[in-house]
Amino acid sequence: MKGLRFNRKHLCIPYAVFLVLFVIAPLFVIVYYAFTNGQGHFTFDNFVNFFTSTKTLGTLLYSFAVAIVTTAVCLVIAYPTAYILARSKMKKKYVLLLLFILPMWINFTLRITALKEVLSVLEGNISVYPFLNSVIGMTYDFLPFMILPLYTSLQKLDNSLLEAASDLGANKATVFLRVTLPLSVPGIISGITMVLLPSMTNYVVLDMLYNNTYIMGSLIGSYFSAYDWNNGSLISLVLLIIIFIVTLVTNRFSDKDANNKGAIL
Amino acid sequence: MKKFKKILSVAAACGLVGASALTFAGCSEQDEVITLRVCSWEEYIDLGSWKDDERITLDNGEEIFGENAIYDEFAEWFNGESDFGFKVKVEYSTFGTNEDLYNRLSLGDVYDLVCPSDYMIMKLLAEDKIQEYSDDFKNGEYATNVSPYIKGIFTEYGWEKYAACYMWGTTGIVYNPDKIKDDADVSTWNILLNEDYKRQVTIKDNVRDAYFAALGIINSEQLTTQQLDSEHLTDLMNATDSETIAKAEDVLKRIKDNVYSFETDSGKADMVTGKVIANYQWSGDAITILDGADADGTELWYSVPDECANLWFDGWVMLKSGIDGNEKRQTAAEAFVNYLSRPKNAVRNMYYIGYTSAIAGDTVFEYLDWTYGAEDDADENKVLPYDVSYFFGEDGEYIIDANSDDFAIDKATGEINRGRQLFAQYPPENVKSRSVVMRDFEDKLAEINQMWINVRCLDVTDISPVTIGVICGAAGLITIASLLYAFRYKLFIKYKPKKGFSKVEE
Repeated sequence: MKGLRFNRKHLCIPYAVFLVLFVIAPLFVIVYYAFTNGQGHFTFDNFVNFFTSTKTLGTLLYSFAVAIVTTAVCLVIAYPTAYILARSKMKKKYVLLLLFILPMWINFTLRITALKEVLSVLEGNISVYPFLNSVIGMTYDFLPFMILPLYTSLQKLDNSLLEAASDLGANKATVFLRVTLPLSVPGIISGITMVLLPSMTNYVVLDMLYNNTYIMGSLIGSYFSAYDWNNGSLISLVLLIIIFIVTLVTNRFSDKDANNKGAIL
Repeated sequence: MKKFKKILSVAAACGLVGASALTFAGCSEQDEVITLRVCSWEEYIDLGSWKDDERITLDNGEEIFGENAIYDEFAEWFNGESDFGFKVKVEYSTFGTNEDLYNRLSLGDVYDLVCPSDYMIMKLLAEDKIQEYSDDFKNGEYATNVSPYIKGIFTEYGWEKYAACYMWGTTGIVYNPDKIKDDADVSTWNILLNEDYKRQVTIKDNVRDAYFAALGIINSEQLTTQQLDSEHLTDLMNATDSETIAKAEDVLKRIKDNVYSFETDSGKADMVTGKVIANYQWSGDAITILDGADADGTELWYSVPDECANLWFDGWVMLKSGIDGNEKRQTAAEAFVNYLSRPKNAVRNMYYIGYTSAIAGDTVFEYLDWTYGAEDDADENKVLPYDVSYFFGEDGEYIIDANSDDFAIDKATGEINRGRQLFAQYPPENVKSRSVVMRDFEDKLAEINQMWINVRCLDVTDISPVTIGVICGAAGLITIASLLYAFRYKLFIKYKPKKGFSKVEE
């Protein structure tokens, strides 16, 4: 009877089951398909195809371009916003913060459809600027994910550090560049991770805003609709590895700030 | 701890009772419940809840009204009025594309009755996955009500034992006549390449429909100047040799640069809101769009290009994996198809989803007359006798006195190539004769999909040197800036102390 005794560790059983069923097992399935062909034989062909086809490399590059530009635009918009929100002594700043998060409560498709109409009014014919529209759509979609970590890291910044710098003779620009900015790096990093990675594969935004060029997500979809799960899985695997590398690199930056680790993934 | 055990034992007891209840239910013959797993297209069946003013009262006094979803009414009828000796429960689910359905089947999802398109039926047939309909089915409501035209085609293709046609139609172009420069522009697939309508036309975002349009463009001259017999036409529009695929790739790349978008579902809305002036559509969706635009006060038309149209069918097939030799299950599935084939239910579906049912018969014809027939006191010059006898049966005359303003009649030949709802729903003889069924790509699928990827993906070698230069430059600048910042930026920023402070030399 001793073996059955309930203790606190057993509370994680549901999560462990979930992890094995929906995270680990699918991973093995992806790896299996990525290195087999249609007949189930082991092969590196998919792998070779990926890195020799100018189309897949072009798509990879295009996805990166969309993702990096989106992330940069998000950062440029989000940093000042988060800074003002976090540092100001405004009474109503929570209302303002809420306004930035509010779009997240509205259904995604609805938001992008509304955006499509707005862009149509502004641009006339939205199919003329597919890249621009994709970046605008993604920025609109992912901006809160950039603002929130930045806001958190800027808000918990110790005021006495800034005062000390100022007392020691630093002007405002110096205080910002030498104290505020370095201390907010973990926030920037986690913001970048949260925007860069999903924007590489979120092809629904591109579809809805009429970008006719494929990114990685749509390429996987097109292989799947031709019943070619092997090439599709390989692309997923490559994406997974890229994400893993990016996470490794970014984790180095945020190691100093243990509290922030949780916010990254 | 004691409490915990108690809960466990209670749970176990409940499980036991439940399991035995199920076993007993299985034993008694009379109350056996068969769960019929049906999978069909999204928005492809009448879900009921009609408003009261939608009630259809035909001239012959018949009343048609959709109260509940048809599959629920089927279960109600099956379990109540009919005498099958067992009960049925319908599990209705939907799929988005034929490929989606096929992938689900290969992943092990089990369905008894599915409704794929023609080419997917061919694929499933070739893979021996389809259960043959029973002999009783040959005398059922489907067999008696189905249009002789549809029956003929299904027999010709050898599907009649395996598939029961549900909806059918053509592909064509929905357009806004006020914004078209010349009517001839919309009578050809070349509109997709027409510079006059640059970024104002949409095409379907799936490889089969896009490939078909490309073939229409490639063979345009031959198709419009020569009279090909149906066999030649079918072969020409089903060509999948490498040379044709390469040509199609070229055409589709030019289409990609010229059209507004490749769309899956947004075409309807864009047409109604006027963002695009022409739109590659399936006839059924075309009717929904035309109806929607009518309600908004815009008049749209449907045209079937002069080259060729894709004649398509969606049909109910029973799957061997689902039926699994169970006769009752098969009876239930066949009863479901027969129930859908009742003229009243066919009309309900047609009214609800806009597509054209394969069911003929007087009720359906009355419904057409009710919808499209001119008023009795209409001006005689405005009435066009529209012949649909081919569909409703060669024995009688089935002619609808339609409004002639709804059709564009070619003065030279007297043929109708463009029109409104009725034309889209039941194409005239000349359109029918230039329509072909598109076969499955079979072993050419991978090659054609690669062609599609080539069209849709950016090629590394296509990127201009200027773009590469800009990207590299930007990346370089960012790297240099962050490196300098990391190494304490002494080199490029001078720090001036605040007023009253002096800089301390380090």
